[in-house]
Amino acid sequence: MLMQTNRHTENSRDGLSGPVWFSLILLVSWLVLPLIPLAIWSVSRSWYFPDIIPSAFSLRAWNYVFSSTSDVLPALGVTTLIALCATLLSVIIGLPAGRALGLYQFRGKALVELLILAPTIVPGIAVALGLHVVFLSLGLAGSYLGVLIVHLIPTLPYMVLVMAGVFANYNPDTEAQARSLGASAIQTFFYVTLPAILPGLLIGSLFTFLVSWSQYILTLLIGGGRVVTLPLLLFNFASAGRNDITGAISMIYILPGVVLLLLGARHLTGRSRAVESLRQI
Amino acid sequence: MTDVSLEKLTKAYPGQTRPAVNDVSMHIDGGSLTALLGPSACGKSTILKMIAGLLPPTSGDIRFARQSVLQLPPNRRDAVMVFQNHLLFPYMTVGENIGFGLKMRHEPKKDIDRAVGRMLELVQLEDMGTRKPNQLSGGQQQRVALARALILRPKILLLDEPFSNLDANLRLEMQQLLNSLHQELGTTMLFVTHDKEEAVGLSNKIALILNGTLRQYASATVLYGQPKDEDVARFFGARNFVPGKCGPGYFDCALGRFTLPESVSSTGRLLTFRPENIVVGGDNILENSFHATLASKQFLGSQTVLGLQKGDIFFEALLSPQIAEPLQEGSTVSVHLPQRSLWILG
Amino acid sequence: MLERWKIPLLLSPALLLIAGLFLGGLFLGLIGSLGYMPLLGREELNLDAYRNILFSTGFYQSFLLTFYISLMSTIIASALAIGAALILRRHFIGRSVINFLFQLNLTVPHLVGAVGILYLFSQSGFFARLAFEFRLISGPSDFPAMIYDPLAIGIILQYVWKEVPFIGMILLANMQTFGHDYEAVSRTLGANRWQSFRFVLLPLVSPGLLAAALIVFAFTFGAYEIPALLGQSYPAALPVLAYQSFTDVDLNARPEALAMAMIIALLSAVMIFGYARLARRYMRS
Repeated sequence: MLMQTNRHTENSRDGLSGPVWFSLILLVSWLVLPLIPLAIWSVSRSWYFPDIIPSAFSLRAWNYVFSSTSDVLPALGVTTLIALCATLLSVIIGLPAGRALGLYQFRGKALVELLILAPTIVPGIAVALGLHVVFLSLGLAGSYLGVLIVHLIPTLPYMVLVMAGVFANYNPDTEAQARSLGASAIQTFFYVTLPAILPGLLIGSLFTFLVSWSQYILTLLIGGGRVVTLPLLLFNFASAGRNDITGAISMIYILPGVVLLLLGARHLTGRSRAVESLRQI
Repeated sequence: MTDVSLEKLTKAYPGQTRPAVNDVSMHIDGGSLTALLGPSACGKSTILKMIAGLLPPTSGDIRFARQSVLQLPPNRRDAVMVFQNHLLFPYMTVGENIGFGLKMRHEPKKDIDRAVGRMLELVQLEDMGTRKPNQLSGGQQQRVALARALILRPKILLLDEPFSNLDANLRLEMQQLLNSLHQELGTTMLFVTHDKEEAVGLSNKIALILNGTLRQYASATVLYGQPKDEDVARFFGARNFVPGKCGPGYFDCALGRFTLPESVSSTGRLLTFRPENIVVGGDNILENSFHATLASKQFLGSQTVLGLQKGDIFFEALLSPQIAEPLQEGSTVSVHLPQRSLWILG
Repeated sequence: MLERWKIPLLLSPALLLIAGLFLGGLFLGLIGSLGYMPLLGREELNLDAYRNILFSTGFYQSFLLTFYISLMSTIIASALAIGAALILRRHFIGRSVINFLFQLNLTVPHLVGAVGILYLFSQSGFFARLAFEFRLISGPSDFPAMIYDPLAIGIILQYVWKEVPFIGMILLANMQTFGHDYEAVSRTLGANRWQSFRFVLLPLVSPGLLAAALIVFAFTFGAYEIPALLGQSYPAALPVLAYQSFTDVDLNARPEALAMAMIIALLSAVMIFGYARLARRYMRS
């Protein structure tokens, strides 16, 4: 006799039950919720209690943001430039270190790994306060160079860890093969090594960029108020109660993250090492 | 000693043109050791998971002792499954692994310890109770997995390619262990394999599954000697198929007229005979004999395979190397097909 | 180039930089907290700064507050992350959208989330206005204070918002390594859904979960900008207190600020130690 299928047996491909769907909807709304008022504020003119939506809309916040008299565009430039340089430096210095960690076993490796892991867990404030005086005496405090250097504290270890993961899955025999076919060291790097590590390298770079992009206390302490990045500006406007400008700056500030995601979302799941360090952001 | 019935069991995934399991019906006797045999991805593991309750069927019924079990979740069906990958819980000791099912039933600790001790003896792992799974060899791990399942005296034990990960010698050992456990405990056992030697050696009956469909369900002897159709025959290594026409008690084809045994029905258009049953180069026997050219001869160690040809028909014979030795390639030899070795396919 | 030197050569630029900046910064913070201020001519080491803060109620209140925030955030985020991971590892329509949103959250800087929480939960914020709309309150002051409040609800909400996807993704990656098979086995062995979760799945993901929780705890303990934006001014979170002491006009407060920084560093060192132990145990199984 034919029987109906029943709900009690498990199957990961079946639909979800009611309460689960409800939790899911809750989860989704929860994830995007804080971003919504920011978006609305950026286009509002007056939005007073108890209005649910603004009583008047305007683009004046955006006008301000893009005007030549405001600090926003220069801050955007500074933040981007520092993040780019920090990423580039992290690649140059971090790639060889990641290679060493990923490919080889050696005495003291556990200690080295600990040393590289530590800056990603120890909060920046603990390190930056100590560095401040030295940077002051070196003339680095309040300078772009100083801020760039101190950004390397979270970005470099992160890049090393990502590259270590990339090289752990890499087969160095392909390089030996290329050399035996007559390729020089430089040729081998460009034609064999680089293409193989490029996906991981790009993803790691994009996230390293974000690590620098989101730094606040490091920039505040070492920059001394003279190096103005976007997060600093955002904090100031938020504290001052200029909600509309805060909203507009927020929208700009989250843009690189969205772009990065659209470019490389695929690679996020399963990269637990990379994800672990994302809490820097 | 629970019997299991599958009635028109079907599993179709959305977006697939063909169901993974298609209308399978069979009755498995209580206390038997049955094999679900087939190539990979033919649906046999899916059938097993449906019996265990891990996958819901799209339609059809599954009954234990004539009672449908579809409404029962897997933990209430008393159908325990052992996987290819032993899946021993890595953070528990061997003893804790084996006792897991009894712990879930809230049995008192003393009883659990006693039962675990007995199981360890049964699978010959007496001193391993406090070890962790990663300290055991592959064969030992699989024995623990068996112990973990059988300690519950389940109604039916389901095994999904349990020995595929082991090397050949170990596999034989484990097959013997499974056999002795089966004889000792009498549990109904159903195991999935793609290895026909394993299925033949181990089980009472074999269900051959191809592309989600049950093709034939019979003992090994029947599957070898009386396959239902060409696919089944080919799966079990039949090599020679000759088209022709049936008459009452005989079969006409390009090789001649052959007298069929009484048990074989006189309908069908394809004659088949297994390579190992052919007699080559023997004395001239009048019935079911003909002459053919020996096209090729290849020594394989314990056997020699001969390639024979008559007219357009090519066929293979397997002989002992000693008998095949004097035969010359290119010569004409006499071939005799004993009546009992003949079989007709539709 | 000798083969022997290859590894040190590859590692040294990075290690030198990290040792110099990171270890150097910690070291300088340490001696600074011990009173070493050459600019002011003070070159003797003493424990005055530590004595001062450890005997001040203000410090203890900040420390306890920060500990409380980190503990609550970590526990709540971990619990919710388990639930989220359990849901997300199944296949269902719209799963890729939700995965995308999770990942989107990972890229949003903490500060933006904090401002968003501010606009949602302040007493004149979005939820307050909704409450007014539904006649639940008659004015902003009737709405419970979640920003600048002693229970630091807004701060905890912000951390939970950001860390649930973080912990969730790690858990998800973990669960995908194990697949559903272990639970399938336990089910056929007679475990019901809850037993299967508690005795099989949870122990399997615990190392990874704990490691993630340690990272989250260390991070929330030492973060500055979120409590600076959303928190009370007294007692302030420890990083905020440290910053205030550091930028105090009175330079004598500086060693105390550094002492607080050292305590933050010490706590995170404990977390690192625990993390390293867990990572090793996880690798072995």
